[in-house]
Formats: sequence, structure tokens, C-alpha cells
Amino acid sequence: MNVPDTDRQSYWGVVRGQFNKNRPAVWGLWCAVGLFALATGAPLLALDQPFFWQTSDETRFPFFAALFNRLQFENGVDIFFNLLLLLSPFYAGFVAWKRRKGGLGLRAATGLVAFHLFATLLVVPASWLGVSNPFHREAPIVDYRGQQAELLAADQSVTAVFPPRRIHYRETNPERSVQAPGRTFWLGTDLEGRDVLVRMLYGTRISLTIGVVAVAIYVWIGVVLGALAGYFGGWVDVVVSRLVEVMICIPSFFLILTLVALVQDRSIFHVMVIIGVTSWTGVARLVRAEFLQQRELEYTLAARALGLPRWRVIFRHILPNAMGPVLVSATFGIASAILTESGLAFLGLGDLSVPSWGGTLNAGRLEMKLWLILAPGLAIFFVVSVFNLVGEGLRDALDPKLRT
Amino acid sequence: MRSYIVKRLLLMVPTFFGISLVVFVVMNLAPGHPGGTQLASDLAASVRGADTQESHRIFREQFGLDRPVLFNTYIWLERAEVEDVLLAMAGRDGATSADRLHAQEQIEDWGRFAVPHLVAVMQSPPDPLIRDLAVYGLRLAARQPLLDPFASNPSPELRAENQRRRAENDRLRKLRYPLDAPEEEKRVVVGAWSEWFEEAAGRFERTDGERAGIFFFETRFARYWANLARLDFGVSLVTREPVLATLLEKLRYSLSLSLTSLLLGYLVSIPIGIHSAVHKDSFGDRSTTVTLFMLYSLPSFFVGTLLLFWFSEGSTIPWMRWFPIGGWRSPDALGMTTLAQIGDVAWHLVLPVLCMTYGSFAALSRYMRTGLLGVIHSDYVRTARAKGLPERQVIFTHAVRNGLLPVITLLAGLLPAILGGSVIIEVIFDIPGMGRWLIESIYQRDYNVIMSVQLISTLLVLFGILLSDLGYALVDPRIRYQ
Repeated sequence: MNVPDTDRQSYWGVVRGQFNKNRPAVWGLWCAVGLFALATGAPLLALDQPFFWQTSDETRFPFFAALFNRLQFENGVDIFFNLLLLLSPFYAGFVAWKRRKGGLGLRAATGLVAFHLFATLLVVPASWLGVSNPFHREAPIVDYRGQQAELLAADQSVTAVFPPRRIHYRETNPERSVQAPGRTFWLGTDLEGRDVLVRMLYGTRISLTIGVVAVAIYVWIGVVLGALAGYFGGWVDVVVSRLVEVMICIPSFFLILTLVALVQDRSIFHVMVIIGVTSWTGVARLVRAEFLQQRELEYTLAARALGLPRWRVIFRHILPNAMGPVLVSATFGIASAILTESGLAFLGLGDLSVPSWGGTLNAGRLEMKLWLILAPGLAIFFVVSVFNLVGEGLRDALDPKLRT
Repeated sequence: MRSYIVKRLLLMVPTFFGISLVVFVVMNLAPGHPGGTQLASDLAASVRGADTQESHRIFREQFGLDRPVLFNTYIWLERAEVEDVLLAMAGRDGATSADRLHAQEQIEDWGRFAVPHLVAVMQSPPDPLIRDLAVYGLRLAARQPLLDPFASNPSPELRAENQRRRAENDRLRKLRYPLDAPEEEKRVVVGAWSEWFEEAAGRFERTDGERAGIFFFETRFARYWANLARLDFGVSLVTREPVLATLLEKLRYSLSLSLTSLLLGYLVSIPIGIHSAVHKDSFGDRSTTVTLFMLYSLPSFFVGTLLLFWFSEGSTIPWMRWFPIGGWRSPDALGMTTLAQIGDVAWHLVLPVLCMTYGSFAALSRYMRTGLLGVIHSDYVRTARAKGLPERQVIFTHAVRNGLLPVITLLAGLLPAILGGSVIIEVIFDIPGMGRWLIESIYQRDYNVIMSVQLISTLLVLFGILLSDLGYALVDPRIRYQ
């Protein structure tokens, strides 16, 4: 529909304006973007494979192959970010092109995210199924660092451009177990001799993914249940409200703990799903309350009078107007999901194969080494406060009455 | 007011039922076996002799593990299903020994529901081996469990009935033959089984009403609830001690920890919140807001570990070894006077309570501040000022009372968080409370303990919610519960 623009400022425009006035929140948002970039670019900063490798008889680019080598990165989270790293120039180009054509709309942005998720899904499950997959194959890892040293010792010409840290986050070495921070290892090493700095770097990926995916799951569940309960009322409302009441009374950390511990061969995705399915009550209550209000308003009546199907009224007309509080609670939810995951890893109940910050902190507690406590602790603190800052900013921007 | 409390207490029953349903389903649908991992129980099964087989059976019956979780669908058991399981027992289709054991366990779990089908298979077997296995299965399935085997003083009738059952079980157990027995001997035994079944057939016929009863009530959940109603939380699968006694003991530690920290949280944050609201936008207000925001984002396990690192007896800095490294009391505490013992426990509790409390400061004082700011500009406060009341009285008797409302509501939300957080605190500071017990039981798959801890903690939360609603009425005279 083409409605003449009389007042160019939309609701979200006003919200954005309000948000931009809140300095700390804007910093927080930039920090979040920066963390996301750091997570994506982690291999550019630390990997044991060179970008460029030239000896007298060969020229190679092992870095890019390593990104999709199952022996280097087998986790879905890593694949997601590696693929993002590879495709980011194209995505940046797409966004620039869209902006020139008049702005990147919500639909295009969603499409981009959906495309990337789909691409990740194409890469990962194919290799789970054992299908030979050119994007995610298993190739022996060549020790380029060793080769370079050998060649240099033999006085042969070799050009190698490595990332700044020539180390994989999983590389262990019992000889350098629990080393204090020093010139080579800026943040020291852990019990297995892994570089703590590199693990912190790759841990960003885990934390951000946990936060976003777990919250996406529970926002989805909460929105659907809350919308149905609020719109239809009656017995649907009774059932959902009772369920919410029951779930609220169970200390959710207990429930999450039990569920996570009972899953055999748990992966980081189990943790995400479990946090997701146990934390939806808050969102459901918010959405229900909003729907109870909005369904009495005239625009809802108008939409229904037009004879639109019910799902359309619910999800296309009312829901966008009810999303404000959900957005705020989701932002805070990212922070608390990250806290929950690191708490689980701290108790030794996480996925041991991923570089979770909580796991390093647990090692620090057991070994009583300050660098193993401070580095992950401050990292968690930073990420959590970033999302809390953004959440507060959003809350104040959406409801200026609440600002105190 | 009293009728309101009674009504709320009654309403708690269905909520509690719902909670137990959720927790029960979650626990029972999760993979893994009680009392050890899957692998361990398989290993145990493969070395089990006849005697241990029997005690394993009793173990399963005692804990109701032989029953379906929510609904008993065994009433619709088909002959084909029984035959499939017998085939698995026969070791066809590449079945492993573990498969065979599972098949055997399945027949034992079905018990009397499988008997008519087993008899039918025995009488018209697809092949001789299956007939032999059906006889073997009958021996497992036809056994009648004793009634109330652990009764302290059984009535004569009960004793007589159990005597009869035991005799019948013994007789049935002898109705067997080795696989290589001559065909005539096998026929005799099969005949004996058929005879027995004709006599006992009435036992296996059910009316629709009985079927419905079995469908809903002969389940693990119904059994668990029947026990819960008698305040019987079962026995720990690991220590074989009643859960309730241990639970009450552990609860003492956890409750004193969380109630202290809750009380401390309110005592500290309400004044902070009032101060911030009264002196809004002052330097003090801004700096407390920032500090509390940072405290709020600090994970408790990080702070706890750091506190232990710097301020406990294990600290690397000699003059900061102020507090014990963990635990509830010193090893030599029993020899102390009562006062010294209290002091000792308090000394042990400083760090954990601090660690549990600081997170709630931010939320509580913020709510207090918002609540107070909401009423501070209202008409009745202006009226109070206009009457010439001193500012102190305006704030503390008029404004704060209404400003307290959101803080009281927060109690309901804070309680689950504090109880949940107690796991981490108790693990870090080595306090033998409920949270640490939960974690240990989770590692050992001690289902009864896990269930009980979850149920007790939700019960505590339910009471906390009731308490916060009552507090609401106490503070706000406009609210009258009918």
C-alpha cells in the first residue's frame, strides 16, 4: 500500500532517535558489533595455517582450506562463523548495493540471515551424514610452522604469511602446562598447555551463539504461545497461563542443570535448546499481556473486518505492535543465557569440545591460577554488561515513562 | 484474610501437581538408567547370576521402574509384540547379548499383561525354539509380586496371601526344562502351564473399568504421587537411605544461606534505592547506579572464585588470609561453646553470602528507586508536604510504603534465582547444601534425590510467592483479598 508520507518519522524511527541519545547504550551496541566481528574474524587473528605459503617449488593458500577442514573445525558454530568470514565480502557488497537502492529493509536483512543459516546447514549436516562434501572435508593437517622452521634451518627460501598468532585454539602441549602470562603467551596457558588468549578469542563465538540461538528459540516459543493465549483467550489462555505458572515456580537453573546432565553425548547445541525450552515463560507473559490490550484496539477490528485470516491478523498486524517489550527482554535474555551457559561449563556440565569461557574459569578455580580466573571472568563480564547496556537503552527508548 | 490464605494454599495443590508432572516427565524421558550409567547397568546385567537377577527384579519393582511412565498401555499388548520380543530373545536377526537382556527385561516388565499371549504362543508356536522361550518367559512373567513386602506388622490375611503367592511362585519356578530335554518332558511342562493358565485365567480378564484404572494408575507417576501424598520421597538409589531425612538436613544449610542473603539484600538495597530516588540525578545516585549495574553483570562464579583466591586461607597474599577456604564450620567446631560455634559458622558464611547477595542489590535497589520515583510526585505526597510534615516523615511514612510494592513483587522472582544460584555457590565454597547434593545426585543419576530436590525447591518458591502476595496486602491497605 502506498500511503503518502505526512509524518516521515515512524514508530521505530522515534525509538532509534531515543536510543541514539543514550550514549552508553550506543557504545554497548558498537561493542556488541565489535564482538561479533571479532568472533567472525577469529581465524584471521589466530590459526596455525598460513594465508600464503611459497617455497621454491610450490605456492599455496592453506588458510582457506583449513577453515572447512573437519579436523580443524568440526563444530557447527565454527562452521557458521568461518562461512561468514568467507562470504562476508559478498554480504557487505549486497548490503551496500541495497543501501544505494534505498535502504536495507527488515525483509532483506532477514533474508540475508536466513540465507547464511541455510548455507551453514548445507555444509554441516552433509558431513554428519558422511556425504563427501567439498566444503567440509577431512584433510590431513600440514604442520607449516614446523616446515618453515626446517626450511629456514636448511637455508632454503620460503615465504609464509601466518595470522598474528600461529596457534590453533585446540592445540595442546603438556610441556607448557599452566604457564603464567609472559611474552609468548600473553594470557598464559591452561592445564593442557592451550593458549588462553586464543581460547578467549574463539570463546566469543560460543558465547554469542549461545546467547542468540537460545534466545531465538525461546522468543519463538514464547511469542507463539503468548500470542495464541492473548488473542483467543478462553481455554487456550487457561492452558498457557497454567503452564507458565508451573514453569515459573521451578528454579530454571535446576531444571537446565538436570536436563543438560541427563543428555548423553551432549553438544553445545543441546545446551542452547535446553536453555531455550526452559526460559520462554517471561516472553509468553509479555506477549500475552500485549495481545490482551491490542486485540481490543480499532486497527485489530479493522483488520478482522477486512476478512483477513486469523493467523494474518495475529502475526502480521498485532505482533509487530507487541514486539517492543519482547525485544528488550530478548536483549537481557542474551546476557542471561550467556551467564547460564558459562555457569554450566563452570560446573563441568558444558560441551567439553568447545572453548567455553566457563570451562577455562573452572580450570582456574581448580588450579587456583589468577590468569585462568581473570581472563574468562572478565570476558564474561564484558559481554554480559554489553548486552545489559543495550537492553537498558532499548527499554528506555521504547518506554520513556520507565526512564528513571 | 484467613480464607484467602486457605484458598491460596488449596490452589497450590494443582500447581504443585503440574510441577511434579513436568519434572517427572522430564526426568523419565531423559535417556540413561537410574543408579548408574547405561553401560554400567549392561555390564552388571551380563554378569548377573540367578540370585542377583532376582534382587535386580525386586529393585526395579520397588522403585516402580517396571511400569510405564505416565499411562499404562500394557493393557493393549498384542500377541505380535510378545512374539517379536521372543524372537529377539532367541538371538535372531543379529541380536547381541545386550539385546537379549533387554528383551528379557521387557517381558518381566510386562509381567501379567504378557501371560495370556505367552500361553497362546506356547500353545501354537511358530517354531519349537519360540515355544521353549515362551515357557521361559512365562516363568518370568507369571510370578506374582508379594503384597506390601516391607510391612512392619502384616495382618494375618496379608501374611496368608503372601504365603500362598510365595508357594505358587515356587511351584511355577520349577515348571521348566533344559533346552535339550526330550520332547515328552517338554510336553509335560507345557501341559502343566496350560493347566495352570486355565485355573488362573480369571486373573487375566479385566472389565473396562479395571482397564481404565490400570491405564491411569498403574504407572510410575501415579505410584510416585501415592508415595508423595504420604510424604514419602523414596529412598536414595545410591545410599539406600530415605531421601526426606537427608533433604531436611541439607535444607538447613541452603535455607540459612539463601534466607540470610535475601534478608541482607533487602536490608541493603532498600535504603540505597530510597537514597537514589530522593536525591535523583545527584552524583551519589549516578555512581550507585553505575556500580550496581556493573555488579549485576558480574557472574557470581567469577566473583566467588576471586574472593576465594584473594581472601581465603589459600590466598597468595599473606595478610589477606581472612576467611576459611570453604565448608560450613571448622573441623574442631564441636568442642567450642555455642556462641563460638555460631561465630564460626558466620565466619564461614561471609564470602558465600556476599557472593549470593551482591547480584540482587542491583535489581532490588533499582526497583525500589523506580517504585519510589513513581509515587514521589503523586498528589498525596504533595498533600503531605503541604500539610507541613517534615520531609523525613513524608518520605518514610507516606511515600516509601507505596514505593515498596514493586520490591515486594520481586521477592517471587528472586527466590527461584537465588535457589538456582545456590548450586554454584555451594560448589565453590564447599557447603554441603541442597544445591551441591543435587549436582552430586545428577552425576550419579540418583533420580529420587533429583526429583525431591526439585519438588522441595518449587514448594519453597510457591510459599515465597504466597508470602509476597501477603506482604502486598500488608503494605497496601487498598488491597483486600476476598
